This record gives sequence, structure tokens and C-alpha cells, in this order.
Amino acid sequence: MADGSPESPGVDAVRHCIEAALPFKALTGGTLDALAQAAECIDLFAGEVLYEAGSAADCLYIVEFGVLRLEPIAKTGHPAASAVMRPGQAFGWIALAEQGLRRNRAVAVTPARLLRLCGSLILNLVRADPAVGRMSLEDLRAVLQAIQLSPGRDAVPGHAASPVGSVVKKPAAIEIGLFRVAQWFRSPAPYMMLLGYALLLGFWYLSVQVLKLPRFAQMPGLTAVLHEWFSKNPTYGVSIYTPVYYQHILVSLRRIGIAFALATGLGVPVGLMLGWSRVFKDYVFPLFEMLRPIPILAWVPLAIIMLPGSELPIIYLTFLASFFATALNTMLGVRSIDASYALAAECLGASRWQIFLHVVVPGALPFIFTGLQISVGVAWFSLVAAEMISGQFGLGYLINTSYTTVEYPTLVIAMFTLGIVGYLSSSLVRLAGMWLMSWRTRHLALGELR
Amino acid sequence: MTADIAATPTGAPALGEAGARKLPGFLNNPSVRRACIAIAAALIFWQLGATSHDWLGIGLPVVGHVPSPIAVLKAWHGLIGDPGYWESWYLSFTRVALGFAAATAIGVPFGLLLAMSRYFRGLAFPVFELLRPIPPLAWVPASIIFWPTQEMSIDFVIFLGAFYTIVLNVLGGAREIDPRLVQAARSMGASRWNIFRRLILPGVLPSICVGMEVAVGITWEVVVAAEMISGGGSGGNTASGGGLGFFIWNSYIGGSYPDIIVGMISIGIAGYLSSTLVRATAKRLMPWTRGR
Repeated sequence: MADGSPESPGVDAVRHCIEAALPFKALTGGTLDALAQAAECIDLFAGEVLYEAGSAADCLYIVEFGVLRLEPIAKTGHPAASAVMRPGQAFGWIALAEQGLRRNRAVAVTPARLLRLCGSLILNLVRADPAVGRMSLEDLRAVLQAIQLSPGRDAVPGHAASPVGSVVKKPAAIEIGLFRVAQWFRSPAPYMMLLGYALLLGFWYLSVQVLKLPRFAQMPGLTAVLHEWFSKNPTYGVSIYTPVYYQHILVSLRRIGIAFALATGLGVPVGLMLGWSRVFKDYVFPLFEMLRPIPILAWVPLAIIMLPGSELPIIYLTFLASFFATALNTMLGVRSIDASYALAAECLGASRWQIFLHVVVPGALPFIFTGLQISVGVAWFSLVAAEMISGQFGLGYLINTSYTTVEYPTLVIAMFTLGIVGYLSSSLVRLAGMWLMSWRTRHLALGELR
Repeated sequence: MTADIAATPTGAPALGEAGARKLPGFLNNPSVRRACIAIAAALIFWQLGATSHDWLGIGLPVVGHVPSPIAVLKAWHGLIGDPGYWESWYLSFTRVALGFAAATAIGVPFGLLLAMSRYFRGLAFPVFELLRPIPPLAWVPASIIFWPTQEMSIDFVIFLGAFYTIVLNVLGGAREIDPRLVQAARSMGASRWNIFRRLILPGVLPSICVGMEVAVGITWEVVVAAEMISGGGSGGNTASGGGLGFFIWNSYIGGSYPDIIVGMISIGIAGYLSSTLVRATAKRLMPWTRGR
């Protein structure tokens, strides 16, 4: 200490302390000096309250020595909810937001010495600093945003150590979503995407309707399709205003729904058994492997012969495709589980059933959902073929009849509708998977999983 | 997949049984024995179920309508000498090979371009994703309208089916490449071409091969349906000789049901053969994966 007085430590020491604690790396020496000059030194004894929650926040504090605790207001006094401030850390950032109120109560745990900086003074000095410019103000804004996002906290840790037991509130999903959307709009991606679509549609329009290229001229044109699709009085009877359009969609969806539910209900247990029991696998897997190379669509005539009516063969074909995908992926999922997990559970006294329920099923879940995604895709694939070959209603049937009756715009409408409905259904499965396996997504994001 | 999880709780039954029995050769392996039992049981069930009308008086619900395995074998025996049957094989194989070759020739460079250039990806990938959910078979009528010959339209649909899979696999493989490798190569002065030739291409090759293997399976799915829809759907087709899909459909129309199953099994064998071929080629292309 230069002047020997404990109440006013050397300006250099204060300056160093401020420089270490504050996130204003770009401040020039002059500003730092001015801050150090303006800093007041205060001493607290153990148990002394520095400020109460709800009082006007006008100052920012840096701990020089000692320990302080920040206790949130509305909490029940749970120790985990309060933050502990140690030497070198700064708190009371709310002072930098003009006219803020303290959100917590600061109590000294041990005798402590603090540096007090007036909030408005900091703001004025930072604004006046020529070298700071935008950057530091943006830093400041980021700090304030962090405070706003975490209402339980009135402190930002210095870079030296994180406060023990502090609770960082995770931003809500909607905030993350909005942020991502904003970022996406700032990137070139959406504009490139629009350009890509424009090129595709432009090519379609030009080649079919304007240039009338040799083979393209007989295809339905872009405007004809759009006009038909959104017309209240469609020429060929199918548009978004006609109930028959939705009838086709619903019939296809119903078939997919039944087949997918059956395939999942049967495929997942069979797959789990295939992966879990060697005996079961020995008996069943060879049959699987014999049937699997036969393309699903080669089953069409046999399915028509085997099953009564026209609805059952279509559902059967769709089911068959989904079933193989689901069962095989589930089996791979079970086999991908590290055997030491099962051994560890057994060592800890888990029964066979418990291992199955708590190790095998959750372990296979990621693969099961991969399987379900593939299964939805192949379900649509075979549904369309089955409907085209034999069917009374449905989008595949619509495609085929509009071809045979030369209603080409309807053909394209049905194709695009099929794409949209198929995309939506596989998104639904993906969302369900993400929701059921949120633990896995989190671990992946944190890099804790392979 | 180093350890079989199922073996641990049951306690390795393979060792105990193999020593006790004195069965010849491969039957010593309990897995093989069980596979034989299962297949035999399935065949017997099929035979009994298919002929249930004869010995039971009433046909069983589903299997009762299926031709019996013995009938199928008889039909197959008759077809072995029929040149029309082998012509179906040949035609389907040519179509698959053409569509698949086109899909590989276009799909691999397209996928690599998507992986290498951010601008191309931004431009082309959304369009690709827009068209992808439309199942390839939904393109059959449109492609019949567009292409001058039926042959070309079938080839085009097969191409589409394989194309999406190959492109997605190439792109996925390129994403798996550790960006630090690219950064390291760049900081050591590798040119763009060098990075592509020495890093991206070998890195992506396994995914390309996986994609090709999956794609071959899809091409067989598509060829069958495309042949059925384009030829079978309109009804009139001259006997056999239009590919295995035509063959199945004509057998159905003509009422010779055992031939349907012969056709199904033939396609199964053809699909299996072609994916084995692709896998063997892949192994030749990537000697470093042979150990696995």
C-alpha cells in the first residue's frame, strides 16, 4: 500500500482490480484511471447487509477480499439458489441498467472489503472513452442482457472463477428458436434457397410454356398446375377447394397410419427380441433374411391373391415395408449397446426384466427412431406403388387415374401433395423422436456422447 | 458390435452343446441347426397351409390362397428351359444397371459438389429437398409422358430412386470428415484440388459405397413397380420378355399363380446378387476397410 492507509489502497491496485473484474477489455488507460480514482473503498463485517432486495441500484461492487452471498428475493432461502462472490468478482451489474432495482440481497459472509463504483459514472466514462466505441457498449449490452435473462442473479462472475452454486437459467426454447430464425435470416441461406426455387420454377415455366422445348412441351405447365391447384372451379375436378382432394389425402393417410402403427407395434418388440435373445434370433432371423431381398412391390399380386378386398392388400404391403425397417433397426440398436452396461446392471443385482427395461429399451431408442423415420419413408414409397396398381382412392390412385384420363395438371398436383404430406409425416416422427430422446440431444450437444 | 449382449445373461450355450453332440460338420453350430429347423418349419407350414383345402376341406384364411412350395418348384422347373424367363432376367438387369450407373455417375459428383461448395449447396440443396419427398414411383406416369420410349421412362424412375440415396450418402459422408483435417491440410498449403483428391474423396468413399449398396436395393424395388405400373397397369403386354416385374404381373393376370412366386424369388436372388456385386466392388475400391 503506497500511502499506508487501509481505507484507500493504491490507485494502481484498484485499477488492476477493476481491469481484472470488468468485462471492458478495450478501455483505454485514461478511462481505467478515472474509474480507479472514482472507486470508493468500503469495509463490511461478517453478517452485515450491503443492500436489500428492491432498493435502488446505483452502484457496482468488486470484492477485494472476503466473501459475500447474494440471496434472491422470492426464493425460500435454499442455499443452492444464492450466489457466492469471492475476491476478484464483480456484482451489482443492474446498476448499469438505468433505474434498476436490486433483485437480491447482498450479505457479507466474512469480513470483506469492496470497491464501489457508481453506475452512472461508469456509463459516462465508457461512453466518453474514444477507444471503446461500439464494441464495448455492445459488451455492456450483452452483460445487461445476461442479467435480464437471469432474474435470480444480480452478478456476473469475473473471468477468474465462477461463483459457487450459482444458478444459470437456461433460455426458454422460444428465445433460442427466435434467435436461430434471426441468425438464419442474416445468413445468405434463405436468399440462396429462394434463388434455387426460382431457378427451378423458372426452368419449368420457360421450358414448357415459353420455349416449348421438344419433350417438355407436352408436360403440364407451371401456371396451368398452379391455376388448377388454387382454382375454385377446377377444370379437372381436383383443387384445394374440392372435398375429393382431401378425401384422397385422408384415405392415404389412414392407410399409412394403420400400417405404420401395426409395423411399429409388431416391429419394435420383434426387433428387441431379435437383439436380446440369441435363441429367438437363431430361429427367426434366417426367415427374415430369406424374405427381405424380395422387393416389397414384388408382393403386390400375391397380396391381392392372399388377402380379401382391395384395402387389406395395400395396408399389408405398406406394413411389410415398414415392419422390416423397424425390426432390423431395433435389432441393430440393441446390439449396439455396450455389453458392459448389461453386466454392470447385473452386478448391481438387476433382474433380467429390469435390464431389459432400463438398459436395453432406452439404449436401443436412438436406433428405433432412425428405423421409424426410414419406416415412414418406405411406407409412403410402397403405398404409392400399391395404390397405383390396385386402389380405389388415395394419392397414388389419383396419380395413376389422372395419367390414364390425361388430366396432367392433376397428376402434378397429386405428386406435390404426396411430397408435402410425406414430408410432414416424417417430420412428425422426427419431432416425436426428439421429444422422447431429449436426454440424448442434450448429451450430443454437450459432447458427452460419441 | 464387439460383444453380443444376448449371450451374457444366458451364459454362452454354444460351448456346452457343441462338445456333447456328435453331429457332422456345420450342424454342430447351434445357430445353423436352429436356422435349418426354422426354415424347414416355415416351409412345412407353407405347404400344409397352401394345400389346406385338400386335406382339411376348407382353405385357411391367408396361406390357403398361396400356391404351395411344391407347386412353385414344379413351375420353376418348367421355366428353367424357357428363354422368355431368362430374357426377363436380362431385361431387368439391364434396366437396373443403366439406371444405377446413371445415378452413380450423376449423383456422386453432384453430392461432392454440394459438399465442397457452400454456394452450390445453398442454391441446390433446398430444391433437392423439395423434390425428394415425392416417391420415385409417383414419377412413373410423368416420366412416361416425358420420355419418348417406355424403356427410357423406366430407366429414369430407377435413376431417381438411386440418385437421392447416393447424393444423401455422399453429403453425409463429407459432413463426417473432421474439419480440423481440412484446416490442417489448408494451413500446410494444400490446394483446393489437393484437399479434394487426398482428403475429401477417400473420406467420402465409404459413404459412397454404402449409398451405392442401399441404392441397388432401391433400384430393384423401383424396377419391379415401374415395370408393373407401366406395362402391367395398362394391361396388354406380349407374354413374357418384359422384365421380372412384367413377368410377375403377367403371371397374375394370366392366373398362373405359382409363377408369381417364382418371379418374386427370382427378383430376390437378382437383388441379392447385385448387392453382393456392389459390396465386392466396394471392397476392391477401399482396401483399407478389408480388415473390418
